[in-house]
Amino acid sequence: MAGALRASGGVGGHVGAPHENKTRTEILISGFGGQGVVRMGQILGMCAIKQGHRVTMLKSHGTETRGGYVRAQLVISPDYVDSPVVENADVFVAFSAPAYKKFFDLCRGHVLYDPEMVEQIRPDAPERHVAVPATQLAKERFNNVLFANMIMLGALTRLAGMDYTAMKAAMVEVIPRFHEQNLNAMEAGYTLPDVVARS
Amino acid sequence: MATVATDRIQEILIAPWAEWAKRATRGKRLLEAGTFAMTEGAIAGGCRCFAGYPITPATDIAEYMSKRLPQVDGYYLQAEDELAGMHMCAGASLGGLKAMTATSGPGYTLMHDAYGWAVTNEIPLVVVDAMRVGPISGITGAPGQGEFYVARYCTHGGNFETIVLSPSSVQEAFWLTIDAFNLAERFRTPVTILTDQVISDMWEDLFIPDDYDALDFVVPRRHNLTMPFHPTNSAELDVAPNIIGRGTGVCVSAYTHTEEGYDIEDMEAHWAQTYRLVNKIRHHRDELTRYETVGVEDAEVIAVAYGANARTVKTGVLEARRRGVRAGFIRLITLWPFLDELFERDVPYVVCELNYDGQLVREVMRAAADKRKVHFMGKSAELHTVTEVAAGLEGVARSGALPKLPYIWTEVR
Repeated sequence: MAGALRASGGVGGHVGAPHENKTRTEILISGFGGQGVVRMGQILGMCAIKQGHRVTMLKSHGTETRGGYVRAQLVISPDYVDSPVVENADVFVAFSAPAYKKFFDLCRGHVLYDPEMVEQIRPDAPERHVAVPATQLAKERFNNVLFANMIMLGALTRLAGMDYTAMKAAMVEVIPRFHEQNLNAMEAGYTLPDVVARS
Repeated sequence: MATVATDRIQEILIAPWAEWAKRATRGKRLLEAGTFAMTEGAIAGGCRCFAGYPITPATDIAEYMSKRLPQVDGYYLQAEDELAGMHMCAGASLGGLKAMTATSGPGYTLMHDAYGWAVTNEIPLVVVDAMRVGPISGITGAPGQGEFYVARYCTHGGNFETIVLSPSSVQEAFWLTIDAFNLAERFRTPVTILTDQVISDMWEDLFIPDDYDALDFVVPRRHNLTMPFHPTNSAELDVAPNIIGRGTGVCVSAYTHTEEGYDIEDMEAHWAQTYRLVNKIRHHRDELTRYETVGVEDAEVIAVAYGANARTVKTGVLEARRRGVRAGFIRLITLWPFLDELFERDVPYVVCELNYDGQLVREVMRAAADKRKVHFMGKSAELHTVTEVAAGLEGVARSGALPKLPYIWTEVR
């Protein structure tokens, strides 16, 4: 994973990659429009660029402003990324049940899911799943579901062994306002007992 | 079939920015979209006027331009439609400004009349077509490569050649846009950047040099205020573009014209004009060669692609190599004039493009040593996957035929 994600353990240490000598890290994030899927990808990508990596991010969405389907596919690598398509995700973040269902098979690594949105998970690989109650926490602590993506980003940062300080700096650079609340939301995800235990 | 190490194969990029990138070392690294890169490339290349009509996935270019152009004393104009937008750009260019418009397939087809004006009057312009899958409106958020021939025959009537370039990364979109402006100036013609939804919308790490003004590889706008306005019967390059203004007396016309620009219905004059429009490009093809190759020297099968899906195709080639197939890769950057010389090796070619009807594949069939060895992997609305490309190359290398794959069309005739 060459520094972007930890080489073993955590989310980065997946097994069974079909392309040998894989130096690239693939991250797939999907949910509904308005949940901050693209923003989360943008911060992850910016953080990796600041650390000297090459990054691609494909974003696809329906024509709706809110409520439609959204997907961000990130590839992070020390070298130029040829294919920007995520075919074997090291990490899959599912913000909605349809997204979980649609893209689960593209993931070989860990699945971070919001249990309020994804009520049923596949029984075949429970050890690959990490529940991050981002929506519930956003409502309880910030009285606003919009902070769910930053909670998820904090959890992902810890699980993937990425540089937390750099991630916070990237967030501040990418998001123009409400830095303090967003930092608190990242911290909420980063310090979730379940996440700490799994990292 | 011997196993070939992927780290020893030769990678070649023939494009002016291979050199430019080495020289421009001070700047910032961003995470931005292809539309952003094309906008910044245009500004760096001297563009000071944008007129157009928004359409997904080119809308962001208009949006970025509306912000950036006023910052550099340029002009942004939202036109009533694409046809008007391109004519406005032609007017701006004739007024002395470098100009650009951007659209997608549905708007591109509306520009044919304006293209004709720009081609015949030798007006430098840059036109971006961010292709989405069609026909007509198709799917707004899905990539296609359906305008390969439309971009070549961008207006009616024949008797002209066109310059069409296609980037395959956000970074390349930046450099290539500067290049497109340079070529437009040097050849006095509209240059088309034929890109697609993926390259336009994709975000990628992008290096932008700090000081645009110090970029000495930008061809500046010059002003031709004197006769002949149209150097008919000549293939000469680097003739300064015509500038309309007080006292210049420049004539432009959609009709066959004389050196002065006056309409004329005369076969000799028509011959002289055609000689100019065709041969200023044909006689200077060497100036227009841009491509990338990987491992073609020893290849037993070569994949061919351009634009966004060249990215997954290249990875597919490397994957095929890992499986023991001596696979090569040709990525066309110059689409027109077509680079026939890249297909001289008598080996099978596997052409991967984003349409089911087969467009690029027909040109490769024409240029290849043996057209029976040219295979077609057409896909639409989604990029080829690495797995598909590797399977295709493996099939052709081992049994001379493509395997049956879902969503892949192999029929050309």
